[in-house]
Amino acid sequence: MKRILNLTVTASLVIAFGVIAKAQSGGNVLIKNATVMTAAKGTLENTDILVTNGKIAKIGKNIAAPANAKVIDATGKYVSPGIIDAHSHSMLDAINEGSLAVTSMVRTRDVIDPKDVAIYRALAGGVTSALLLHGSANPIGGQSTTVKFKWGRPADEFPIEGAPPGIKFALGENVKRSNFTPQAGQTPRYPRTRMGTMEVLRDAFRRAKDYKQSLDDFKAGKTKVPPRRDLELEPLVEVLEGKRLVHCHGYRSDEHLNLMLLADEFGFRIATLQHALEAYKIAPEVAKRGTGASIFADSWSYKLEAYDSIPYNGYILWKNGVLVSINSDSDERMRRLNLDAAKMEKYGGVPEEEALKMITLNPAKQLGIDKRTGSIEQGKDGDILIWNVHPFSPYSHVEMTLIEGDVYFDRAKDIANREVLAKEREALEKLDMNKAPGAGGTPPRIPAERRIADRDEADRGDNR
Amino acid sequence: MRFQSSDFRFQVDMKKRFIPLTVAILVAANFAFSQNDGAEQNKTGRAGTFAIINARIVTVSGAVIENGNVIIQNGKIAAVGAGASVPSGAEKIDGKGLTVFPGMIDAGTNLGLTEIGQGLNASVDTAEVGNINANAKAFTGVNPHSAHVNVTRVNGITTVVSSPTGGLISGQATLINLVGSTQAEMAIEPLAGLVVNFPRIAQFGGFGGGGGFGGQGLQIDFNEAIKRRDTQIDELRKAFKSAENYGRAMDAYAKDKTLPAVLTDLKFEAMVPYVRGEKVIFFTAERERDIRAVAKFVAEMKVKGIIVGGQEAWKAADELKKNNIAVIYTNIYSLPVREDDPYDSLYEAPSKMQQAGIKYCISTGEAGPEVRDLPYHAGLASSFGLSKEDALKSVTLYPAQILGVADKLGSIEVGKMANVVVTDGDMLDPRTNVKYLFIEGRMLPLTSRHTELFDSFKDRKSSDILP
Amino acid sequence: MKLKLFLYAFAAMSLFGALANGQSLAITNARIVTVSGSVIEKGTVVVRDGLILTIGADAKTPADAQVIDATGLTVYPGFIDALSSAGLQARTTTPAPGGQGGGQQAAQQAAAQAAPSNSNYGFGIRPEVSAVDDLRGGDTQFDAIRNAGFTSAVTVGRTGIFNGRSAIINLAGDSVSAMLIKEPYAEHISFTTVAGYPGSLLGTFSALRQMLLDARRLEDWQKAYAANPKGMKRPDDDKSLEALIPLLNREMPVVFNANTENEIVRALDLAKEFNLKAIIAGGQEAGKVAERLKSQNVPVLLSLNFPKRTAAANPEADPENLSTLRFRAEVPKTAARLSQAGVKFAFQSGGLTAMNDFFVNAGKSVENGLTKDAAIRAMTLSSAEILDVSDRLGSIETGKIANLTIVKNDVFATDRFVPYTVVDGKLFEQKEPVRAPVGGRGPGGQRGGGANPGAAAPAAAMPAVANVAGTYNITIDVPGQVVSGTLVLTQQGDVINGTMTTQLGVTQIRNGRAFPDGFAFAAAVEFGGATIDIAVKATVTGNILNGTIDSPQGAVPITGTKLP
Repeated sequence: MKRILNLTVTASLVIAFGVIAKAQSGGNVLIKNATVMTAAKGTLENTDILVTNGKIAKIGKNIAAPANAKVIDATGKYVSPGIIDAHSHSMLDAINEGSLAVTSMVRTRDVIDPKDVAIYRALAGGVTSALLLHGSANPIGGQSTTVKFKWGRPADEFPIEGAPPGIKFALGENVKRSNFTPQAGQTPRYPRTRMGTMEVLRDAFRRAKDYKQSLDDFKAGKTKVPPRRDLELEPLVEVLEGKRLVHCHGYRSDEHLNLMLLADEFGFRIATLQHALEAYKIAPEVAKRGTGASIFADSWSYKLEAYDSIPYNGYILWKNGVLVSINSDSDERMRRLNLDAAKMEKYGGVPEEEALKMITLNPAKQLGIDKRTGSIEQGKDGDILIWNVHPFSPYSHVEMTLIEGDVYFDRAKDIANREVLAKEREALEKLDMNKAPGAGGTPPRIPAERRIADRDEADRGDNR
Repeated sequence: MRFQSSDFRFQVDMKKRFIPLTVAILVAANFAFSQNDGAEQNKTGRAGTFAIINARIVTVSGAVIENGNVIIQNGKIAAVGAGASVPSGAEKIDGKGLTVFPGMIDAGTNLGLTEIGQGLNASVDTAEVGNINANAKAFTGVNPHSAHVNVTRVNGITTVVSSPTGGLISGQATLINLVGSTQAEMAIEPLAGLVVNFPRIAQFGGFGGGGGFGGQGLQIDFNEAIKRRDTQIDELRKAFKSAENYGRAMDAYAKDKTLPAVLTDLKFEAMVPYVRGEKVIFFTAERERDIRAVAKFVAEMKVKGIIVGGQEAWKAADELKKNNIAVIYTNIYSLPVREDDPYDSLYEAPSKMQQAGIKYCISTGEAGPEVRDLPYHAGLASSFGLSKEDALKSVTLYPAQILGVADKLGSIEVGKMANVVVTDGDMLDPRTNVKYLFIEGRMLPLTSRHTELFDSFKDRKSSDILP
Repeated sequence: MKLKLFLYAFAAMSLFGALANGQSLAITNARIVTVSGSVIEKGTVVVRDGLILTIGADAKTPADAQVIDATGLTVYPGFIDALSSAGLQARTTTPAPGGQGGGQQAAQQAAAQAAPSNSNYGFGIRPEVSAVDDLRGGDTQFDAIRNAGFTSAVTVGRTGIFNGRSAIINLAGDSVSAMLIKEPYAEHISFTTVAGYPGSLLGTFSALRQMLLDARRLEDWQKAYAANPKGMKRPDDDKSLEALIPLLNREMPVVFNANTENEIVRALDLAKEFNLKAIIAGGQEAGKVAERLKSQNVPVLLSLNFPKRTAAANPEADPENLSTLRFRAEVPKTAARLSQAGVKFAFQSGGLTAMNDFFVNAGKSVENGLTKDAAIRAMTLSSAEILDVSDRLGSIETGKIANLTIVKNDVFATDRFVPYTVVDGKLFEQKEPVRAPVGGRGPGGQRGGGANPGAAAPAAAMPAVANVAGTYNITIDVPGQVVSGTLVLTQQGDVINGTMTTQLGVTQIRNGRAFPDGFAFAAAVEFGGATIDIAVKATVTGNILNGTIDSPQGAVPITGTKLP
């Protein structure tokens, strides 16, 4: 009896939540007869996609199925590239190192949790890749990680190989600790104003230049003692050398413009303005610098600096030639970025494919992973979604999410699995270690009615 | 200096022709900053007789009319149908390729009570001090000039319930149309319901997420929490009984002045029609157990109850139906709370309520800025089981029925208030544009803080002086 | 010396006299599990001068020997607890890892009670801290743990990111120097946070990296300076960084406290990055990364503090997460998985307060696929090998330290009893029946119970109450706001009086009572025009106050530090 029980537990562990212990298809899959929205070369009717060893090998009609390929009949269904969220804090065990104004030494890579259920829920909403950012508690936050949501795989398989490194900057209300009241006797953290924020940034880059100089001086034999390797300044030197992408949280257009002017002065380009809800006011300036904007589709009025946000932001930026992506910054919103993209058609009239690019190819470009993912093109990774109807329809949902040709979410399987999980629970609850103590015991957890979706708690101003 | 934006637009257009561009930009920038000081005057449109001709008409209450006319007169829908005749002098609107819908109703918002929730307390009027605030009226707190009003209505939401939050009895919600310069002009039902955060032991509960016991992550003794929850239910029961007594004494004194005069208590006075079952009470509750507790309370107190929230309402269908309790469902944009909850559990809930025969409607549960997403909440519910027809009803006719105003609102029917939305497609589709908007028969401009800022900046060119 | 001997005899209440200087001890007719060799079903172990002299079925009992007839008993090498806080003063627990704040308060408290230091680094990031400095000599402090069967242990503190350097000690000895087997043994690291930077788990890894890099540079600089100081700026004599140099040179192991798969993987990544000689301690999910542990040749000090549900059943509570249920079910399988994968591991108590659970849970590991021999080895020779003391401990072999555990009945069974232990040749006896010291009030154990003074038994039945009188700086953690103030307590017997002063004013306390481990009182606080009744319960450990304030609005934590 015990053995049977163990078997059940082990078997269901493997398929729990549709976890694919090792990808069933081995990255070889043929999707048949779909309406394919390529996000690059228009929409193709009745089209097949062949993925071989995780890469899109062929797109066309009536492709014969190789022997080793799993065949998925997608007749009557829509196919799009996997969604890429360029602003996420999912799967991070810590978001903010808010103790200092400059924390460029910290790395989100160190704290990723591959078992965060938010990953699975995001996959069910079609997200296959994301930029995991440090929070917005300080002007210079930590280093970011670009991942694919390979749910069920170990942590080291999540970061995308070859993705350029990034770093989070932040401006405005969160950084100056608007909603943070220091305790009696506690010194408030500098900066407390937008003026101070700019000076923190300037100081950091001047120090980075000094640091670089000290390294060069040592190399040239001018100094005897090797300079200390400085993990805080090293990433900033990389920024100055154009080797690390800056993703800067901010709202007010003047602040983002000041940041770009500072970058001009130090000779680097800001990769993306994050949130950038007022970027429409400086669209030409943003475009001119080749800086991208990663925005919310239409969030506004939740804080003072978001009061001038308009849903036409994406359209104006796009029209000015800015590379625009739409992000979530939320475990919840992440699940419906397709509808956020659809709104771009409504507000201003962004063409369909351009709107789709805002959640696929454009974020891929912003993150420097567009050679690999972001559109359905031959040679790219098989990061593919199968939808029941057009993804911009309010009635759409994801039926299958593939990453590199492996199925990571399958709605039909998910539903079928629920019974298996219930049985597993029943078996596990009978085990001694899972039984409630007979008498006494600690109080159970108070149940929650809400699951917090916005993890960048710097917004709450309490140094978390 | 404050411009009417339409006037201003005209100015810019004129100037563009005659003066150098840069000047226009400077003016534009100037204008934008003048917008920063708060909400603009909400426009109230114009009354008249309007005839929408040759449109597709989704009546919601009846069959879809593929090609027909809708006549709006004296604030009401005067005629609907393929053969509806156009009164002379009516302003004709070509409805070819367009669809007519009833305006959407969001029965669970705080719209107008808070402009900027975070960091600007001066603009927040949602929760009063104290536990029992039955006399606090959203009707007196709603700001008719909130920028949220226009932004919401131009997406087809014409009517909302705006509700106070916090405490045990938060106050009274108001049912308003999203038009009017004064609260009285907006109100359909100034005092639309009493808001009760039904006591529960959960964290982040209640309207606006503030109710319940225990702060975040804080472990308090569970049994203690249950005791306190039960104490609070007793407190609620006591308040209801007190209000009943108060009403009885007041009535008696009104008839017989020889009786001792009753000292005024505004809180109890406000509760009298609710405890007598004359008006509805909104009970916030999410979990099955709490919903069942509400049902029990409603039965015991013989009051009219509605659940707001309702994550697990479908599990308590028997009790809800027995006690004629409807659900205002506010959880489409919520994450499933427990790690093991199916990913679609909260998307699916409306469909399960439909199947279980519970009366329900879909609401955003949002504070104000995001209420305009109401149609997409309904759409998502539909992509997870609800029929398209029911999805549409869940934001039009169903809320009207639940709020007891189906005689005036919720469908395109003769005699109903002319809250009419004309679109170029499915109203629940995020790609659809609203082309004409009528509330109480007034044709409203499709402008908002957003369109005005858009107009100000859409053509701005760079004045970048640095390389 | 005489006094000490007297005390020893008194403490052990021995049937035997003390061994004379140089006298031998013979344990005869015993089943001998040597671990290094085969089992001797009936034989003798002879001990002299603290060392094992002879072993064998036919080993002779020397004429001078004090003889213990061990008929029906089994002699094992003395059991080793491969990670404990034996002999160290109980400290406050570390802040919870995760680093999303919350820990900050606790971290600040811990810092407040830390010994003064000249280090350039804050409390919690000082690797030079040594467990040996907190040890005291004496046998009786170890009675409980020794009676459970242990004769040696690794001991180290549990606060901060750097827990500091551990010591391997014998669990008896008149002086600290006599107890030590190896010191320092290893540097111990917890993935937690401290007051200030690093205040989150993110910063923890970066701070560790930077310190290791700085230590490497300092070593190079110091070497260069030593070779030729002229014309070179003098390197800092930084004790904290210097303490890291042996880690970088693989001269000292680094023990990472890591239980979950995520923590273990993070430790392995860091170890790889800096080529550290890593050891995982805790390792509850180590089975899931057994292959990686094997390939990086990282042993595990596996905790036998198995997780079990502690929360009471309640129909109004949420069901537990499947991941939690699975986790608990999987932990007892870890030892077998490590064994199968060829990962070296040793058992450790993992903060268990009831040391008998150590053996019960070792038995559960056996039920889940570990061989009995491997289980015994994991508390004897495997431990000694990982701890790099197998040349003197861990098996019954001639010339090794005479640490022996003599067991009645099956070592994994609940009726297991340890009538004798031998530590450094010294005999300790435990008389049966003796109530097992559950909850270990011994120095190695945590203080028992969750301290619920409200439910305390009548005063007469209680041990003497704590002395809680004094002035405390207190912090009350109201959600969204931190209230600080002062609590002044006076005490007469178990009655306490005093005042609490906060931003809300001065409050007289009522119904104050002291308990063996803390106190409780009631008070009324004016707030927002209303009077709020509060009930305060707290424990006092050393100078640290920890407790809860209950009010109709909810319960909030109160913490504090007693002023000297």
